[in-house]
Amino acid sequence: MEQPRHLRVLRDIAAVFVTFIFMFPILWWALTSIKPISAVFDKDRVVFFDFVPTLINYAVTLLGLSRSGIAIDQGIGMGVGGAEAYDSRRAILDSVVVSIGATAVTMAVAVFAAYALSRMAFRGRAGYLNWVLGQRFMPPIAILIPLVTIYKDAGLRDSDSLYGGYLGLMMIYALMNLPIALLLMKSFFDDVPKDVDEAAMIDGATRWQSFSKVVLPMVRGGVAASAVLVFIFSWTEFLLSLFLTTSIRTVPVKIQTFVTSTGNEWGFIAALGTAAAIPSFIFILLVQRHLVRGLTLGSLKE
Amino acid sequence: MVIFGLYPLLYAIWLSLQRKHPVTRKLSFAPSYNWSKLLGDERVWNALGNTLVYTSAALLLQLILGMAIALLLDSDRKGYGLLRAMMTLPLVIPPAVTAMMFLLMLNGSFGVLARGIIATGLLPPGFSILGTASTAMAGVLLAEVWQWTPFMVLIMLAGLRSLPKEPFEAAAIDGATATQVFFKLTLPMMSKVIAIAVLIRGIDLFRAFDYVKVMTDSGPGTATETLTSYAGRIYFGNADFPYASTIALLTLIIVIFVSFVFMKAFKVKL
Repeated sequence: MEQPRHLRVLRDIAAVFVTFIFMFPILWWALTSIKPISAVFDKDRVVFFDFVPTLINYAVTLLGLSRSGIAIDQGIGMGVGGAEAYDSRRAILDSVVVSIGATAVTMAVAVFAAYALSRMAFRGRAGYLNWVLGQRFMPPIAILIPLVTIYKDAGLRDSDSLYGGYLGLMMIYALMNLPIALLLMKSFFDDVPKDVDEAAMIDGATRWQSFSKVVLPMVRGGVAASAVLVFIFSWTEFLLSLFLTTSIRTVPVKIQTFVTSTGNEWGFIAALGTAAAIPSFIFILLVQRHLVRGLTLGSLKE
Repeated sequence: MVIFGLYPLLYAIWLSLQRKHPVTRKLSFAPSYNWSKLLGDERVWNALGNTLVYTSAALLLQLILGMAIALLLDSDRKGYGLLRAMMTLPLVIPPAVTAMMFLLMLNGSFGVLARGIIATGLLPPGFSILGTASTAMAGVLLAEVWQWTPFMVLIMLAGLRSLPKEPFEAAAIDGATATQVFFKLTLPMMSKVIAIAVLIRGIDLFRAFDYVKVMTDSGPGTATETLTSYAGRIYFGNADFPYASTIALLTLIIVIFVSFVFMKAFKVKL
């Protein structure tokens, strides 16, 4: 249907406007991260662009500089505050290690399991799929309570060793994301006709060869999309990370510590929040094509 | 994985059958104690009501907005691909961070959104949206709807793009109006997609925790207390693990039951 010109222009304006509304909180957040404190807390007016931009919030959270040190250097009066409390480099490292580790473990299991579920008939296959799906119904708080006890007993929660903190979170993130990755990978394997494996095997390839040399390369895009989703879900997880470990802190948990009894450090919160969103933005744009399938656990294909 | 998933569940069920002694903190077997306490606990009913309001309001808003925006952005013309890509960005912000974002923007004295609303004269100056019982839920819903409407948009777009072209061409020849096309063609043909979207989103909404925890911490009072946040409060406040487990299990039972009925009624298969 060809629309008349004026309607088309109207639609363009509406589309841009709606997208802008949804972008606004992100833009506002990014803007807040480069505002001086006086502009964030201005009670008389809303400060949009008439402020002197500063990178102090990034310097403190990402480089670990001390705010009072910077204030003295620049000769400006600013609130004091401990440097370590806002230095988020460790939290970023913790988040990266946990998210990448969880993604690797999840994908390693999901790829093989999904291939088996897609290609081989075995007893209990349907029951297994339902069980996997059923995990999605569990409120995280319901598993949290038993898990805290288990983790305490296993020394994964309060242990001083980083190893314990990393391992504990990685394991639970892998477990939490496995259903998603598994169902998603299965839907990608299901897309590859069975004739492909059969042809390979008639030509003398073993089951393993037909999997690794023929089928797996055909679902590369699917593997990437699943991995990105698992990464993002691990990167953004809050509840389990908050309560399951005391030895490490991931970024979403770290940000909450900027909420202090003397007031919220909005500048630092905004800076760390903006910085933490950037890797996810890049990843998600790379796998746009498979996003819908991923978010619906493979039940809708684009 | 079966064991890993099963063990916490069984443990939670076992816990729900225990009674925690308030002084000695010892657990003793009392199978009906928590469950009968649950039925008589007004806060559970309040939390259930809040959860239902939260879930249905968010679902409805996200569904309508999602469909409208998907129709708006479903175009092959230049620039629309970019708009669609931008629309997905809210999805990857950590919910705990989104909650902080809206906490700042809804702050009565310096939040940009709150001041925008105050400037229209709807609310008195300095009004705290999240600190007032009657508006706190709306404030939390704002964050929820902002973050997850893009999810609906994406799914609806995928659905719209997979529709066959012929019925629409035939309708155009027959001179059907845009409204007729939407209600008689688009909506019925999209029913499967919509059902899947409602199911997945509904399950997540019913278990929602992050926004409530960060933005209002179930308050003011119990105005925004949901089942999961109540369970969290019991668990971390009173350390009454058995009762917290019972509430969490109640949530699980409701989610499974409603999803099951929904899947049967609408013939949805995930």
